[in-house]
Amino acid sequence: MTRHAISVSVNGAPRTATVDARLSLLDCLRGEWGLTGTHAGCEHGVCGACTVLLDGEPVRSCLLLAVQAAGARVTTIEGLAPAEDLHPVQQGFWECHGLQCGFCTPGMVLTAVDLLARVPDPSEAEIRAALAGNLCMCTGYENIVRAVRWAAARAREARA
Amino acid sequence: MSDHAAPTGWVGRPLKRLEDPRFLRGRATYIDDLALPGLLHVAMLRSPHAHARIQRLDASAAAALPGVAAVLTGEDVARAMPPLRPLIPIPNPPRTYPLAVGRVRYVGEPLAAVAACDRATAEDAVELIRAEYERLPAVVDPERALAPDAPVLFEEMGSNVLWHDTFVYGDVDGAFAAARHVVRERFTIHRYVSTALETFGVIAQVEPGTGLVTIWSNDQRPGLTSGVVAAALGVPQNRLRLLALDIGGGFGNKRKAPYLILAALLARATGRPVKYVEDRRENLAALAHAANGVMEAALALDGDGRFLAIALRDVVDEGANLQNPTLHSLLKLGNIVNCYRIGAVRFEAYSVLTTKCPSGANRGIGKPAMCFAIERLVDLAARRLGRDPADLRLANFIQPSELPWETPVGASYDSGDFPETLRRALALADYEGLRAAQAAARREGRLLGIGIAAAIEPGTSNLSSYMLATGTGGTSGVGEAALVRVELDGSVRVATGNVASGQGYPTVVAQIVADELGVTPPDVVVSPWFDSHENPWMFSSGSFSNKFSGTDTGAIVGAARAVRDKILALAAHLLEAAPADLELRDGAAAVRGAPDRRVTLAQVASVAYRDLLALPPGAAGGLEARYYYVHPAATRPDAARRVGVQLTFSNSAHVVAVELDRATGALRFLAYAIAHDCGREINPLLVEGMVHGSTAHGIGATLLEEFVYDDEGQLLTTTFLDYLKPTALDVPPFRVAALESPTPRTALGAKGVGEGGAIPSLAAIANAVEDALAPLGVTLPRLPLTPERLWEAIRRA
Ligand code: FES
Ligand code: FES
Repeated sequence: MTRHAISVSVNGAPRTATVDARLSLLDCLRGEWGLTGTHAGCEHGVCGACTVLLDGEPVRSCLLLAVQAAGARVTTIEGLAPAEDLHPVQQGFWECHGLQCGFCTPGMVLTAVDLLARVPDPSEAEIRAALAGNLCMCTGYENIVRAVRWAAARAREARA
Repeated sequence: MSDHAAPTGWVGRPLKRLEDPRFLRGRATYIDDLALPGLLHVAMLRSPHAHARIQRLDASAAAALPGVAAVLTGEDVARAMPPLRPLIPIPNPPRTYPLAVGRVRYVGEPLAAVAACDRATAEDAVELIRAEYERLPAVVDPERALAPDAPVLFEEMGSNVLWHDTFVYGDVDGAFAAARHVVRERFTIHRYVSTALETFGVIAQVEPGTGLVTIWSNDQRPGLTSGVVAAALGVPQNRLRLLALDIGGGFGNKRKAPYLILAALLARATGRPVKYVEDRRENLAALAHAANGVMEAALALDGDGRFLAIALRDVVDEGANLQNPTLHSLLKLGNIVNCYRIGAVRFEAYSVLTTKCPSGANRGIGKPAMCFAIERLVDLAARRLGRDPADLRLANFIQPSELPWETPVGASYDSGDFPETLRRALALADYEGLRAAQAAARREGRLLGIGIAAAIEPGTSNLSSYMLATGTGGTSGVGEAALVRVELDGSVRVATGNVASGQGYPTVVAQIVADELGVTPPDVVVSPWFDSHENPWMFSSGSFSNKFSGTDTGAIVGAARAVRDKILALAAHLLEAAPADLELRDGAAAVRGAPDRRVTLAQVASVAYRDLLALPPGAAGGLEARYYYVHPAATRPDAARRVGVQLTFSNSAHVVAVELDRATGALRFLAYAIAHDCGREINPLLVEGMVHGSTAHGIGATLLEEFVYDDEGQLLTTTFLDYLKPTALDVPPFRVAALESPTPRTALGAKGVGEGGAIPSLAAIANAVEDALAPLGVTLPRLPLTPERLWEAIRRA
């Protein structure tokens, strides 16, 4: 098994590790760097619980190898907002009861952050389509859709 | 019955959850997030066959792999522990263990477990285990499993039948003989499960000095699991510390004592902490499935369309489940008449073994299938009689003035307004408008259907009902325990025997205690985690059967009031007033009408814990109470085998409109309206979230999800690519109306809501699809109603 030294910018801070080639980015974030906010829901690319932003794009960290992230910028849920703050999307999830067990939440929030970065004022259909790659087993999605709308409205007010 | 009453305190308010920020920031602690020094990781060898004799199992190469600390096989485990004890007594009980011994009986059954320095090494080692099998015939179909010549899973049992019994209440034969109409149908119930997004996991540690076994897991019934694990390990419960952290969804499935035992045996063997977390494939193949089966049901009606009697022959396919069979059957029995005035019941139940994943608890256990059967029969009857399905239901509902109503099987319906609930759902969906749209669509040849289902949603299982199956006592009633403590600085801490997996208990419990002690919810810290050596608990502690509103509220209120009495007594002493003249508000005890004669909780606590000589002479210190609440409505079965299987009764009605695409079979929701009544809502925001989530579970089960086994017992759906879960595009927006009929049977008038929409949604959607297909004259395919099955049905027309 070959070992590889990698360095990745995670949430704005440089991180290094020496990893097996087969280690997933998900396991590297969780096991090597203690960032356990990124979750394993299926480890086969369907549920989206492991979503992180890689150079600003949402990716499934269970389907990427850690070595593929070498040199990249990774944002995990822990890095979305400064310590005691909540990102407007996180705040929206709180206000609208967009989480129950919370296991899907980090992936959902990051997917929604990406949507709002691309489409600041999404329709309900656009929100549902954007979230369709993330499974939530608890909420029935209704309040997650409301949460994304809440965040979009908050951003609208900020722009006005 | 009323809509939300204006709350006077914290209970009743749609408070957002106190616990959310740490989840939103990725700072929760789920089982897989816990790391301990020296932790070993477990991987398991699992059976590729449905049924086979294990000819040879050689783990020597695996044990020799660098990084591997221990390998256990079934034989090793059988030497280390007594057999697992089934919860219901079976004649000639087979000896089974957490790992298969001699034989495997379903695809995915574990045969060997490896503990190694990391998960990848453990998985490498599993591949080095040599296993040879002699294949035996599989038995996949539960009715085939009943046949005398069927392959038998456990030869010592002599057959695959775990349980067979017939229950008769009232004059069923007379009712069917006198009936003007009888509708009959045979329903094939499929296998599905709620699949919490977090899989099952456990960490076990054995302290060599004291012998203390510490187990962290996401098991949702610690009260039950603790005893099973302690007995298996041969340790007294005061040497077994069982903990639960944050749980990423439960839905009944998160219970697996054998994995806890196995992890502890590996920890013992290695002297190191050991972690096992299922991967998704293991979770789908081997944790638990809601039982499939066959329900042959008949409803007798008189000439006016009044329901007279219901008869059911119910074959429940338990898979290879020896641990808690009969669960599905008993809950169906308890719920068999639904919301209707039905006087006579016959229920013939079979629990039968097959070579499939063990059945287990899953949101609603048996009740979704029961509701499906009766609500499908009601629609078939409406069609036969040429009646509107809403009218036929309204004509047969138990009326609010008739409550409490005892059903023939002994369920005592406590509160609610079933007709009004349906009327509200019909109005919310614009039933008249939908029927008009349907007529117009049909003229254009479009397939538009409207479906209705009404449901009782029981809560709080009375464990005495197991006596119907076991005939023995030893376990009866149901309860929960709580601890309320005012700390030395006046802050309030609460712990209960329950575990949270998304229900919002930390917030709801804080609301309840805040009202009792005159503080605000953020002043109350509710322990988010369970610890069997810290939290108060009893056998029925944990999260199951919608029991929070039935038992937990009673325990919390009981403990809070006991503390309140202590505060008042002590404050009265300090203020030289009578306790009856004091009130608790704004974090202090004050003399009513003289608000500056007050002492804060911190001042009272300071006397209770520190300034002890300021206590009244002879008084005990401390501001803490534990309360072990026992639900007062639980009884044992009577001589006629009548018993309240569950103790509170919420109700709901779903009205659904769908359109089917003739060319593709695709189903689109046009409306999804829900009216529900779970008594007093402690937190309406969280209640509505439960309603959405549980309904989505039913939608998945109705349209997408199915565990498919081939004739050889091979499981064909082992990933989320072929076991399909509903996404945000599959679940429609919901319109929800809440009614509130407080029950006199619980401490706060609240009733269960966790199972909610998972019960009626299957029937409501199926009825809508059948209505859409009606112009084609084709019968409804079996569930799940996938586009492929719907397309086939349309094509057959
Ligand atoms: S864990 Fe990566 S998609 Fe499910
Ligand atoms: S909140 Fe539990 S999976 Fe989404």
